Amino acid sequence: MNIRSMLREPLLHFLLIGAALFLLYGVISPGDAAGRKIVISQAKVDDMVRQYAQLWGGPPKPEQLTAMIETAVRDEILYREGLAQGLERDDPVIKRRIRQKVEVMAEEEGADAAPTDAVLDAHLQNHRDTFLTPAMVSFDQVYFNPQGPDTPASVAAARARLNAGASAAGMGQQSMLPPHVTAADTDLVARDFGSDFAKALVKLPVGQWSGPIGSGVGVHLVRLTALAPPKVPPLADVRAKVVREWENDRRLAAKEASYARARARYDVVIESKP
Amino acid sequence: MAHSSKARWLGAGMLALASCSAPSDKPGQTAGKTAAGTTTGAKASADYSPYLAGDHTPAADDGSRPYYGDTHLHTSYSTDAGMLGNTLGPEDAYRFAKGEQVTSSTGLPVRLQRPYDFLVVSDHSENLGLAPGITEGNQIVATHPWGKQVYDLVRSGVLANSIKAYDMWVEKLNTLNDPFKGDNRLQSVMWARETAAAEKYNEPGKFTAFIGYEWTSMPDGNNLHRNVIYRDGKAEADQLLPISQFDSTDPERLWDWMAAYEKKTGGRVLAIPHGGNLSNGLMFDDVTLITKKPIDTAYATTRMRWEPLYEATQIKGDAETDPATSPTDEFANFERWNRGSFGPVKKTAEMLRKEPVREALKRGLAYEAKLGVNPFKFGMIGSTDAHTSLTTTQENNFFGKVVPVEPSADPIRFDEVMAGRTAPPGSQMYARESSASGLAGVWAKSNTRADLWDAMKRKEVFSTTGTRLRVRTFAGYDFTPQDVKRSDFAKNAYAHGVPMGGDLKAAPKGKVPVLLVQAQKDPDAANLDRVQIVKGWLDKAGKTHELVYDVAWSGNRKPDANGRLPAVGNTVNIADSSYTNNIGAATLSASWADPAFDPAQKAFYYVRVLEIPTPRWTTYDAKHFGVKLPTDVPASIQERAYTSPIWYTPGKTI
Repeated sequence: MNIRSMLREPLLHFLLIGAALFLLYGVISPGDAAGRKIVISQAKVDDMVRQYAQLWGGPPKPEQLTAMIETAVRDEILYREGLAQGLERDDPVIKRRIRQKVEVMAEEEGADAAPTDAVLDAHLQNHRDTFLTPAMVSFDQVYFNPQGPDTPASVAAARARLNAGASAAGMGQQSMLPPHVTAADTDLVARDFGSDFAKALVKLPVGQWSGPIGSGVGVHLVRLTALAPPKVPPLADVRAKVVREWENDRRLAAKEASYARARARYDVVIESKP
Repeated sequence: MAHSSKARWLGAGMLALASCSAPSDKPGQTAGKTAAGTTTGAKASADYSPYLAGDHTPAADDGSRPYYGDTHLHTSYSTDAGMLGNTLGPEDAYRFAKGEQVTSSTGLPVRLQRPYDFLVVSDHSENLGLAPGITEGNQIVATHPWGKQVYDLVRSGVLANSIKAYDMWVEKLNTLNDPFKGDNRLQSVMWARETAAAEKYNEPGKFTAFIGYEWTSMPDGNNLHRNVIYRDGKAEADQLLPISQFDSTDPERLWDWMAAYEKKTGGRVLAIPHGGNLSNGLMFDDVTLITKKPIDTAYATTRMRWEPLYEATQIKGDAETDPATSPTDEFANFERWNRGSFGPVKKTAEMLRKEPVREALKRGLAYEAKLGVNPFKFGMIGSTDAHTSLTTTQENNFFGKVVPVEPSADPIRFDEVMAGRTAPPGSQMYARESSASGLAGVWAKSNTRADLWDAMKRKEVFSTTGTRLRVRTFAGYDFTPQDVKRSDFAKNAYAHGVPMGGDLKAAPKGKVPVLLVQAQKDPDAANLDRVQIVKGWLDKAGKTHELVYDVAWSGNRKPDANGRLPAVGNTVNIADSSYTNNIGAATLSASWADPAFDPAQKAFYYVRVLEIPTPRWTTYDAKHFGVKLPTDVPASIQERAYTSPIWYTPGKTI
């Protein structure tokens, strides 16, 4: 059962259309008593019976059906009484509920159409940034603790020694960050070293010791040993993700398009003081 | 906000960085020139492919790293969230945890500073999805005799009616009268949607979306909830509907359900009890819930079979310990919710004794001596229990417990009564006392459901009160102080000791347990104040004890004559809601040999790490909204982490 079929549930339409007609009528002919007729049609009763059977496996007993009909009548009368008193107007809760409802309906427009590969591939190409495989890096790093004992001069000296071929072992201070990182996505590097470090990393020359580069934990001398630039993967590799994002975008676009169409029908005046 | 380091040369280092990277700072050039295959250096290789199988995450020497996430988050599918204004479903929750910007239910844009590694959406199983069912006009709700009542009330659009509908549901919840009894169609539809959302957002290696739910046992308003976490996917999880408190409020029946699930599906599940602050002593009671019989060996065994972890900290307060049970611990009074429950009964000292984690761990040792099995031998995680679909734990980005208390200048943000509504005066907990906490840290080798779940099962986890500081500890008999500095620290430590959550074997003659600890600040948060080891033990007379040792700290502080380490200081500017990292340390490590080890005494050890003081969320709020700073909560706090304990049992050989 999808949301759209639920939205098409007759009772709801009955209420929504009823409300719309009532409001329209109220505008055209205020005070007219013609809205005081309530018809519970045979179709409506059949629907009650059908829904009851779906839930409980058999038809309602006559007294149960009578009670259900009476409840529907009571609902409708009190609903109209409420509308007549203007209870729905300027009620933030009903506004938000109805807004949500309308948005859900808008989002569901066209929801059943499964996207073709061509559609998905177009989506992939049009949203390359979303699906971009982050740059991948391998690097070595030596950590220097901001609480000392090193100084900018001693760090610079360490870099010179490293570039002259000295071993990194024993340089700097220990941390819980790995001294060697192999084939890591830069977004995962950012989770450990911070995003500033990850951004600086991909700009370093490959094969030599650079830095110091700051992280949230201290500063680092870094040797980038390999860099694979970001790339857009083929559809086959990320199909599920593309479907998910396409679907999400479609929902949002449908909602916005529906709103834009509706808004075009209104003359909006905002009288706020500067 | 000012939390830049003021170390004397860091500024110079950053300048050096700027000048070094400037020449290549042209987008689009660097990458092309240095693409794989054109590189130099020993590590560059022609077969370097980003798609080779393996670990693409920076890892420690043994291939592991701490993964951070939340095991306890509610969305609109939880009836107490969805009927109180939460309009964000599970998909929004996953998107947010993955780092996307989301608009909160009250219309505020919100984003995490860094993505999480994993998330469990753990909606209440009681009438799962009732609120979205009403919103979307779901005919299962609309045509159900009771469902139709709440459906019509909510859809009447009158606020008072919505509240009435919610009260009607709470009444059913409290009287254990499932309004949909005998009709599980709503539960089936909504559970299938929850599991589908998890499948959709689960990306092994990048982000783990766990399937889970919360079983919401609340006898007499006392909170005994448990979050059930699946190792499995939708195919297994859909085979059995979640158990709810309508089926039973007894944890032992939950464990039966878990056993039935594993038997039917071949899958694996574990349960994490909700922090017990609001349980009025039932969380770690001496008797069983229903029969009120003293807990026995079978109870202890079964509880530990299914509940290897415990939620030590969350929005409804920290639960590590309490001033009443740890009177000599100067850091014990942290974000405590120790005044009540959701029920009408005032909390007594006897109830309070049976709530904190540390006291339960100590009592567990005594129980083990008596029953042969420890019923309270669990690891510790933190999580939020937020009902906003937004897992937020940073003090400057805290979206509150429930939608009505999302950030705003409205007094409800601070003053709403969150617990103890029906209890005597003095038992109430207020929104301003909510803790912007916590997170679960999991030491694992890859970010997959299987690896993270297995680490949880073996208790190789820690809790934080919201920051992503990291901490690792091992215990063994042969460690030397140099071992904590080794480049192969983890490999060596596994080879010669046990990690957090583990068991020490019997002590060789003349040896004492040595704990190695490494700790490091969150790259986006405050420096560290100190590392402590909390020891609990059972003496010959059957009495339990505890002691907190400072084992590493920042700066040149010296303990006083009583062994008490001076406070680290406080850089917090309350009016500006800022702090600076010019006190404290970026990293701390220690090798600590138990100075009072008695091989005949049962004991446990866990590590507590404290950060330097930082502004509490209420302080950020006061500045941002220009509202009055509440006076009954601290303006600054020391965020912290607790590791799972390591246990010592005399004579243990395996």
